[in-house]
Amino acid sequence: MSRIDEGLERGTAFAFTLDGQKVEAYPGETIAAALLASGVRALRRTAKRQQPRSLYCGMGICWECLVTVDGAPSQRACMTEAKPGMRVETQKGVGR
Amino acid sequence: MKDADLAIVGAGPAGMAAAAEAASLGLGVTVIDDNARAGGQYFRQPPAGFRHTGAMFLDKDRARGSVLAAALRHPAVAHWQDAVVWDMPEPGVLAVAAGEGSGRVRAKAILVATGAQDRPVPFPGWTLPGVVSAGGLQNLLKGQRVVPGRRAVVVGNGPLLLLIGANLVRAGVEVAAVVEAAPIWNRILPALASLARAPDMLALAIRYRAVLARAGVPVLAGWTVTGAKGDEAVTGCRVAPIDTQGRLDRARERSFDCDLLVAGFGLMPSLELPRLIGAELAYDRRRGGWTVKRDADFQCSVPNVHVAGDGAGIGGAEMALLEGRIAARAVARKLGKQVPADDDLRRAWAKRDAFRRGLEAIYAPPASFLDLMTEDTVVCRCEDVTVGDIAKRRSELAGSVTQVKATTRLSMGRCQGRNCLVTLAAMVAKDTGVDMATIPLPRPRPPLRPIPIGDLAFEDIPPPDIPADPHLPRKQRA
Repeated sequence: MSRIDEGLERGTAFAFTLDGQKVEAYPGETIAAALLASGVRALRRTAKRQQPRSLYCGMGICWECLVTVDGAPSQRACMTEAKPGMRVETQKGVGR
Repeated sequence: MKDADLAIVGAGPAGMAAAAEAASLGLGVTVIDDNARAGGQYFRQPPAGFRHTGAMFLDKDRARGSVLAAALRHPAVAHWQDAVVWDMPEPGVLAVAAGEGSGRVRAKAILVATGAQDRPVPFPGWTLPGVVSAGGLQNLLKGQRVVPGRRAVVVGNGPLLLLIGANLVRAGVEVAAVVEAAPIWNRILPALASLARAPDMLALAIRYRAVLARAGVPVLAGWTVTGAKGDEAVTGCRVAPIDTQGRLDRARERSFDCDLLVAGFGLMPSLELPRLIGAELAYDRRRGGWTVKRDADFQCSVPNVHVAGDGAGIGGAEMALLEGRIAARAVARKLGKQVPADDDLRRAWAKRDAFRRGLEAIYAPPASFLDLMTEDTVVCRCEDVTVGDIAKRRSELAGSVTQVKATTRLSMGRCQGRNCLVTLAAMVAKDTGVDMATIPLPRPRPPLRPIPIGDLAFEDIPPPDIPADPHLPRKQRA
């Protein structure tokens, strides 16, 4: 749960929220990267068995890391860039 | 509708190399890629906002990747980013979803360079947060420079495991063990001649092994993960040796605490587009499953469609670069361009091909990993379908993948079967005693990826051919 700082400089940190809690992110980071770096584990719960799920494939094909972004459900946290002030919510089921 | 001489699907090693080659030979090229930046998985670039201040271990291929990506800025190349190819509605035409930029491209030839994905191998607890695929972990490291844990275990099968173990060590993670299913140490000697055909790769493998040895990380070869522990996230895992008959020796099970479990059971080609267009496939047991049948120019059974790189059969980035170039030259030659002879490229390709055969011999996995699953192991992640759910249907279904799909909803979720169909096919094969090679996977249907319906509003398609008398069949005008 940490960022590797060797060999690069990130830009200026900004904040977005996960379920109302502030999360720090850097320009260009995906929502998933920022959340995992902050120690967040589960990103959603499944509809049928309410199981916790999180990033698995990391390249946009498994749809396990779905979150609700600014009210839009089922956005892939691994493919969506974090932006200042974004409201991200962990998703329950299909998110509506 | 956009027009191109060559449309390339995917901007990974094969796609980038093909684009550069084709453009230099005078072709108009359109590259369609579903990522924000070119590179694919192997040459994944950190975001533009990250400023590099010095080289470190994750920068090994970054310079090469940048050079390849720069080729996409050639004036003869149109690079369509964050764009998903979701159909080939007619020969030579690709439908692309890209928000307001959605539309179609018509090309004289198409190169499919869609790369690979991790082979899904279900085991108890594999859906827990903190269980990450090998490719996913590499992407977080390379593309985001984030480590999603403090103490890791790396499990699975294949050459990526040593690389990932070494990368985690170098990123400051405590690696409790690397657990490789194949008994690799006994197999190296007979394969040495093939491996020596690519001394650069061999040297890398030795370096990764040395990093692990220096950090005191045990590499358990001939062992497999048997389960991940945890309720809300992974807290540990169990591993067990595999005996010479391929059976699990659960009496010798060991466990490790970890908050990160990297599971990589090898890669498999992303075959959805070739399968959609009806390209002939070949089952290659040694290579790990279905591959695309191709001629010497990497053209598949569908005319003017070439398939290069891992998207045809797993061979790695170096082989993909060569296949992309050879395929691009074949297209240029067919379109009447002056093209140099391929002898050098083909010789280099043959060396890589010999190397990958050597690797396949060393890493040949046990017949299946189905014994890892228990009643409540999830097979289909999207629809939460467990082994138990499938078992209930087994007797009535006489071994048809499609029927199990229809009754359980397995593979009908967002990932469209990418992480469950091969498991189901293996289950059906085992259950009915037939060979995996005889079990066809269901035909994918467009859209090849979930796309927002709004994207279709930007399609510039001609009005449908509707007859004046709607009772007459289409095309038969009144």
